[in-house]
Amino acid sequence: MRTSDVFSYSFSAIKLRKLRAALTTLGVVIGIAAIVALLSITQGLQTTITDQLERGLSADTLIVVPGSSALGGGEGGGFAGGGFGGSSSNAPLHINYTDEINNLSPDIITSFAVVQKAGYVQNGSGVIRIVTTITGVNFSQYANAYSTTFVAATGSIPLNPSNDEIVVGARLSDPRFNGTLFVRANDEVNITWTNNTVIPFVNKTYTAHVAAVLDRIGGFGIGGPSDTGIYVPLTRAEEFFGTDEADVIIVKLRSSDAATINSTSIIITDYFGDQVSVISATAVQSLLTTIFSTISLFLGGIAAISLLVAGIGIMNIMIVSLIERTREIGILKAIGMKSRTVLYIFLTESVIIGLIGAVIGILSGWVLANGVALFLGRGGVIGSALTITPVLTVEVILGALGFGIGISVIFALYPAWRASKLKPVEALRYE
Amino acid sequence: MEEMFMAPVVEAIDLKKTYMLGKIPVEALRGVNLKVESGDFLSILGPSGSGKSTLLNLVGALDKPTAGKLSIDGVDVSTLNDNQLADLRLRIGFVFQFFNLIPRFTARDNVELAMSIKGINKSARTKRAQELLETVGLKDRINHKPAELSGGQQQRVAIARALANDPRFLLMDEPTGNIDSKTAREVLNLIQRINGEGVTIVMVTHDQRLALEAKRTVQMFDGVIASDLVN
Repeated sequence: MRTSDVFSYSFSAIKLRKLRAALTTLGVVIGIAAIVALLSITQGLQTTITDQLERGLSADTLIVVPGSSALGGGEGGGFAGGGFGGSSSNAPLHINYTDEINNLSPDIITSFAVVQKAGYVQNGSGVIRIVTTITGVNFSQYANAYSTTFVAATGSIPLNPSNDEIVVGARLSDPRFNGTLFVRANDEVNITWTNNTVIPFVNKTYTAHVAAVLDRIGGFGIGGPSDTGIYVPLTRAEEFFGTDEADVIIVKLRSSDAATINSTSIIITDYFGDQVSVISATAVQSLLTTIFSTISLFLGGIAAISLLVAGIGIMNIMIVSLIERTREIGILKAIGMKSRTVLYIFLTESVIIGLIGAVIGILSGWVLANGVALFLGRGGVIGSALTITPVLTVEVILGALGFGIGISVIFALYPAWRASKLKPVEALRYE
Repeated sequence: MEEMFMAPVVEAIDLKKTYMLGKIPVEALRGVNLKVESGDFLSILGPSGSGKSTLLNLVGALDKPTAGKLSIDGVDVSTLNDNQLADLRLRIGFVFQFFNLIPRFTARDNVELAMSIKGINKSARTKRAQELLETVGLKDRINHKPAELSGGQQQRVAIARALANDPRFLLMDEPTGNIDSKTAREVLNLIQRINGEGVTIVMVTHDQRLALEAKRTVQMFDGVIASDLVN
């Protein structure tokens, strides 16, 4: 029997039981849609996060934070929390360590210290206050290191700032991104920091002059500029916070290749006797990739279970179909059909169901993913500047097709085999 | 002249078939000798339990004998595997008591099905199916499904299907058993006409009057042939 004839015969058998076939197909649709939706959202999230990290984290910079926690070196190790707030400090990272770091390796162009504390700002009206991260940096070094992100949208960034000049992130100026400005360039704001290392806590406030508002960045800004931060001169920060400890030291490298990043990371870590951790963009990215592939596998695995259920559904209707069509199989065999062809006919039926289910499943999974992304993008859950654009890769499409059809075939194997093994004499006698 | 070189259509020598009914062996055929030559119209007559259905299954290559020799179109059945038996069945045209058409197919699709199993292409099939349905007098019922046809018409479709692959012989199992007597006569006339055109026919029945319409009647009783007479 020709393949096209097998196909049309199978199709006629499916058409005869439309509702049943549709419900079975629905099972496959749900399974595939779940897989596609989850994977494309995860992939989209990964793309978004990686993209944002890349903006906040130059490839040729290393970030040195105090603490020997699992905060991975250049080998792409762990990325534990706590580092930036300086909560896990064994030995403090002094601001003047930058001089020592600069001399550690010829691969290092320069390094500079960043002091970061949580605080809040109040504008002239004094009614609203916004929680922010107060970052003390050398403006000229910072602008040099983050030449694409530490850029003024309005006003200008003073390279030799006076003590009370500050620069604010785009989101601080326009918190809701709707044009209702909280502060603008040349405004005066009050900056408050609560010193909680003394009992009772002491609130310290000073009035600063907004010299510039940054362009919108959209990234997380690890070490680098952030949309929600305010930037004060390093010397002012030292004085205001009463500290000579850096929360982060940013090291600018001559090259962004992996070997340089690794070797320099190790040199710095060794120099400080493992009392610091060095984070690099590549390490964070490789870690993110690992995390996301684990998440994908996990979510995909859960979705795959629903496909397994669909497979059992297929097996179920194929067995029912086989029993109903026992006599038909007897007729087919009596007029010369081979067992093998009977097997093909049954497998083809499940392939058709699997194929239709997979195609509809991929489409509806994609629609579902976009719906969820739209919901999240509106601030439904994540709320921040994070918008997810689901990504549907060719691999996911082909994988979903293959998986849908594969499951259908695997679960149809047994009923198809049983159908093919029916004895014509007995099958013809079947009522 | 051609027939001189041809093997008999069916040749059975001391054919035996034993079934296991649970743990009890049942000897359905106890040594049948039979020869069907090309162009013959043979009826096999016998009461239920006489072994005629068993003989039908063997001659139809649906089953294999326990002992003895059975050749169909010169092929020794006992040496064949399932696939080869299926191929052999392509050379046999089956006509069943209950028509056994595929209900979802039209008359033409049912006739075409037999040819599609053989691997004949669509256009050749359609043409041949059309011709065959005209031959059996169903020119205006070609696109009707079995449920839209009378019993006699369904059996004509079944005969057209049986003829589709130019079989060596037609094997009929009570072909008029499920049709009213008037229509049965018409179907029988059709069968005789087909035989007149040179198609070999083996017909199994328990109806004596029908059996006598054949050229030759074999009477079975208790697993053996009791008589073999030319009518």
